[in-house]
Amino acid sequence: MSNQYNEEELDDVVSLKSGVVGRLLKALKPYWPQMLLAVVGISLVSFLDAYFTVLNKRIIDEGIVAKNLPMIISLFRNYALIVLAQMFGFFIMIYIMGLLAEQLRYDFRKNLFHHLQSLSLSYFSKTPLGWIMSRVTSDTEKMADLLTWGVQDTIWAVTNISFAMYFMLQLNLTLALIVLLSLPVMIIVSFKFRVKIYHHYRQSRKANSKMTAALNENITGVRVVKALRREAKNLEDFKVLSTNMYEESYRAVFLSAIYLPTIQTISAISLVLILWRGGLQVAGGTMTVGVLQAFISYIMMILWPIQDLARVYAEMQNAVASSERVFSLLDMQPEIRNRENLLPVDSLVGDVEFENVSFHYDDDEPVIKNLSFHIPQGQNVALVGTTGGGKTTIVNLLCRFYEPTDGVIRIAGHDYTQYSLEDIQSRIGVVLQVPHLFSGSIRDNLRYGRLDATDEEIEEAAKLAGAHEFIMNFEKGYDQDVGEGGNQLSVGQKQLISIARALLADPDIFIMDEATSSVDTLTEALIQKGMHQLMSGRTSFIIAHRLSTIKSADLIMVIEGGQIIEQGNHESLMRARGHYYNLYTKQFRHDLETKYNPFADQETEVSAA
Amino acid sequence: MSKQKEPYIALDMSKVLGNKNKLLSLWHLMRGYHFHYFVSTIFLALAAFARTGMYLFLGSFIDRMMNEGLMGRELTLSALGFGALIALQALSSFMSSWMANFTAENTTRRLRDYLFDHIQRLSYSYHSESKTGDLLERATSDVDTLRRFFAEQAISVGRIVMIFIISFVAIARINLRLALVSIIIIPIVLVISIIFFKRLSKAYEAYQEQGAILTTDLQENLSGVRVVKAFARQNYEIEKFDKENAEKFRLGRKFNWMHALFWPLSDIICSAQNIGSSFYGATMVLNGVMTLGQYLSFIGLLGWLIWPIRNLGRLIIDTSRALVSFGRISVVMEAPEEDMKSATYQPKDGIKGQITFEHVSFAYEKDFLVLDDVSFSCDAGQVVALLGSTGSGKTSLVNLLPRFYDVTSGQILLDGVNLNEYSREFLRSQIGIVEQEPFLFSCSIRDNITYGVHREVSQEEIEEAAREAAIHDVILGFRHGYDTLVGERGVTLSGGQKQRIAIARTLLLNPRILILDDSTSSVDMETEVEIRAALDRLMTNRTTFIIAHRIQSIMNADLILVFDKGKIIQMGEHEVLLNQAGIYKDIYDIQARIDSALQEEIEHVESI
Repeated sequence: MSNQYNEEELDDVVSLKSGVVGRLLKALKPYWPQMLLAVVGISLVSFLDAYFTVLNKRIIDEGIVAKNLPMIISLFRNYALIVLAQMFGFFIMIYIMGLLAEQLRYDFRKNLFHHLQSLSLSYFSKTPLGWIMSRVTSDTEKMADLLTWGVQDTIWAVTNISFAMYFMLQLNLTLALIVLLSLPVMIIVSFKFRVKIYHHYRQSRKANSKMTAALNENITGVRVVKALRREAKNLEDFKVLSTNMYEESYRAVFLSAIYLPTIQTISAISLVLILWRGGLQVAGGTMTVGVLQAFISYIMMILWPIQDLARVYAEMQNAVASSERVFSLLDMQPEIRNRENLLPVDSLVGDVEFENVSFHYDDDEPVIKNLSFHIPQGQNVALVGTTGGGKTTIVNLLCRFYEPTDGVIRIAGHDYTQYSLEDIQSRIGVVLQVPHLFSGSIRDNLRYGRLDATDEEIEEAAKLAGAHEFIMNFEKGYDQDVGEGGNQLSVGQKQLISIARALLADPDIFIMDEATSSVDTLTEALIQKGMHQLMSGRTSFIIAHRLSTIKSADLIMVIEGGQIIEQGNHESLMRARGHYYNLYTKQFRHDLETKYNPFADQETEVSAA
Repeated sequence: MSKQKEPYIALDMSKVLGNKNKLLSLWHLMRGYHFHYFVSTIFLALAAFARTGMYLFLGSFIDRMMNEGLMGRELTLSALGFGALIALQALSSFMSSWMANFTAENTTRRLRDYLFDHIQRLSYSYHSESKTGDLLERATSDVDTLRRFFAEQAISVGRIVMIFIISFVAIARINLRLALVSIIIIPIVLVISIIFFKRLSKAYEAYQEQGAILTTDLQENLSGVRVVKAFARQNYEIEKFDKENAEKFRLGRKFNWMHALFWPLSDIICSAQNIGSSFYGATMVLNGVMTLGQYLSFIGLLGWLIWPIRNLGRLIIDTSRALVSFGRISVVMEAPEEDMKSATYQPKDGIKGQITFEHVSFAYEKDFLVLDDVSFSCDAGQVVALLGSTGSGKTSLVNLLPRFYDVTSGQILLDGVNLNEYSREFLRSQIGIVEQEPFLFSCSIRDNITYGVHREVSQEEIEEAAREAAIHDVILGFRHGYDTLVGERGVTLSGGQKQRIAIARTLLLNPRILILDDSTSSVDMETEVEIRAALDRLMTNRTTFIIAHRIQSIMNADLILVFDKGKIIQMGEHEVLLNQAGIYKDIYDIQARIDSALQEEIEHVESI
């Protein structure tokens, strides 16, 4: 699956669909006054750039050659005024374009993030996280750059060349034609070079990321490398990658080194022609020295816009490809959406009912088959069974992360698709197996359960969940930082916090996926206590691994192959000596082995080194 | 694979690292390419001369035309001469840039290879103390900063300085006063530019940092998507993201404002100089002090005198950055590599595997003994089980055998010879390690099985080992069989599967000594039996150290060591320990207790 995503990004050439360009321009629409102003600024700068040469020509011809001091003074004064005007245009151009670039980046990121929040869980389980991240971080930059600096460079280059050509045609037709003839040659050669350079540059970036990945892996697995004395072979393998990187990078820099000199040499040919032809005309008195000087200036200056144009052209394809990926993400529709004519509710207190519920993911392989049950308000249900049996899917359906492909789920008497997603999800409390915390303080994480909770309420919930004590043992108490993803805390502590977080939310239905990893006895007891707090008075569904949880449930469902194969309470199921009996005895042995073994590692994440 | 001829000569590290002056160190880093860099500099000068020559030539061309009127052959030759100068300038620029880039690319390639090798040869303790991301950063982006320094900054500074000097001399030869008047503004521009770029790079860093915050936010939101949805906190997340996003926008605006201010302002300053000097020059022509041609040469050269100075600030800041990067790299380079070969003892018929610990103590840090006076002995082919809680010293003990660490005091004897007399290289070839959850590399399953097996292995041999390790059928179950990639771009293997791949590999390695971490906690019953059988086959005829988590693997051991806080508190065979009061007997009794407790529970349920 991820292969598809990798290859997509490696694609260099993307068809230039008009839809993409249209949508890109649409992003500019709210900023058309700025854009217009910037274009005016660019044109002013570009025009004056070309005009300076004319001014210089006049200084030479009308001032110096004519030995006219007042003229020289007035021309230089004009020159200074024009510089000021041009700098004003220059300022506007940089400032507005830069601001617009920043604004567009901001907009793109914002749109993407907002859209991502609306997408269903299924999208995130199918799409690699890194892929989504690149869309939001790097693709948005490339899009904004194309729309601002790309547009600016193009306009500047085109107008600058045009103005220069216009002045040249005014000054001397023959010489201008010489320049005009050499122009396409320089442009074509430039474009060819730039595309090639950019291609090798991109190849070298790819080679570079492969090299970095190899290095990363070698550092992470250094223990194995040393144990197996793989150093020499690894270096050999790495050299293949670094040589590849060297070659691509070298090609890119070599082409860059030869590119400008090549263009200069081409321009030298037209310069020679101009000097020769212009020289004849000056000697013949049909042309002034100033004009000759102007032509020399123009031909030397015209190299810059040509280079810019070629660069934008080479990078444009890539930016368009970025845009396509971003737009494809924005076009993605959430699979689970609110229906029309929603039923407003303030509570989901009531029975939970599955009626002939079936479900399959994209691959048509049924995960839940024709499942029906009815849970009266307030009952505690334990779901047991082997991995892959469908327990997690049942929970996902209940939370409406997914919807049944067939059948109906009713909560408090109504088909739950009649409620809004927000109403359901804010009334259902979930504690995951590996609780996810956000970086920030413990208090921030608890408050996630209810945003308007006071500090007292937060502490109250933590006390109820049994988390208060260990929190107070931290140096900063509730303000202790949990680290990225909560990695400063142990699994047990994270679970306690997520229980407290759920308590604070005061949900109508409580769902928990118990952790399989062992937690030290004290924490375990605290977790149990917290769970009971949450379960009391609420309809609850627990994917249970702990014997005590299972035994105390009002109803145990053994789920296997997407169906309920046994149900009842602990005693009745034990007596039946069926699947439950086997599961229970196995778990019983395992639990006691862990419990009694004095050497069993508390928490499995103890590192080997 | 045939041994490739090295494409470059090796670095002389003593010269690279032994300097106080970092620029000198960078010079030694270019070893073998000094000539290329020298050539680059020569052509740099040539290009500068050619460019200056162009303007001077142009001036004299105009003067001659004005005075005597260039005609015919002379005119053609002059025009061609001018073209030749441009071509020479272009060619020299190319040569200079080519040679500089050649040096930069080769130097950094060699540095990358060196760092890769150096990092994997750093000691075990160095790696346990350093962060992967940090090492990675130094070996990649810091190296790239150096590459840019060699390719761009060093050359650009040279170019700007050289062009400045040559242009200045050329103008001074036309008219000294004019030359002096033309550089009045230079110190001011230089200072402003340095200040500006310093502040700019600060603003840019802040902008980048905010970008990192935004990325982290996004990542957390995406990886915590279930929590976000479970609490229906989409709006809260959106608000949070918008806030950071807006902050990035604000910083970007600030950054942009600095740019928008500096370039036009410095342009105005430079233009003022330009206009002033040009005007002064023009009056000199009127006064007959200078010819028109000289004036034209002068205004052409003037551009090369003033404008490049604006960029000098950036180059100076970048150069100081390159030096910082080099500093960060050299810290890694200075760390000593593990000595793999210096000890030379190597028995002719290989080792047997008899091991004795004599009063072995070991400490990672001073004064904190992880192993405290450990003594025991085992014969070749025996099984030693290590028992004890986390941190009791089991892992540290087995880390001493391949000499990942050396003992602090006491000695370890292998076949009667002190372990320190064997080279690490040789020792590690004799020891196989199967970890609890082995690290696999992101290559094919086949490559993972043959990883570190230093010989050609046939497909039959691989499959046989895989069968013995009870992983063959699992592998065939994957779509690409043995060619299936492991990791992100291929299959995700369970802990038990990884372990069995490591077992297959170790079977191929055929070591005399084996270190096992026998944790089978995360696999189901059936697999557990399979792994157990695979481990038994592996242990046959090999001296084996087992870090034991369960009673089954201990019972058949020839020697059981029970650890507590780095000390052996019980030692002996199963039968012996069973008759002693102590932890060992307690553990053993658990099984019986579990059985009776279960029976009780069932009876209780039935009685209701």
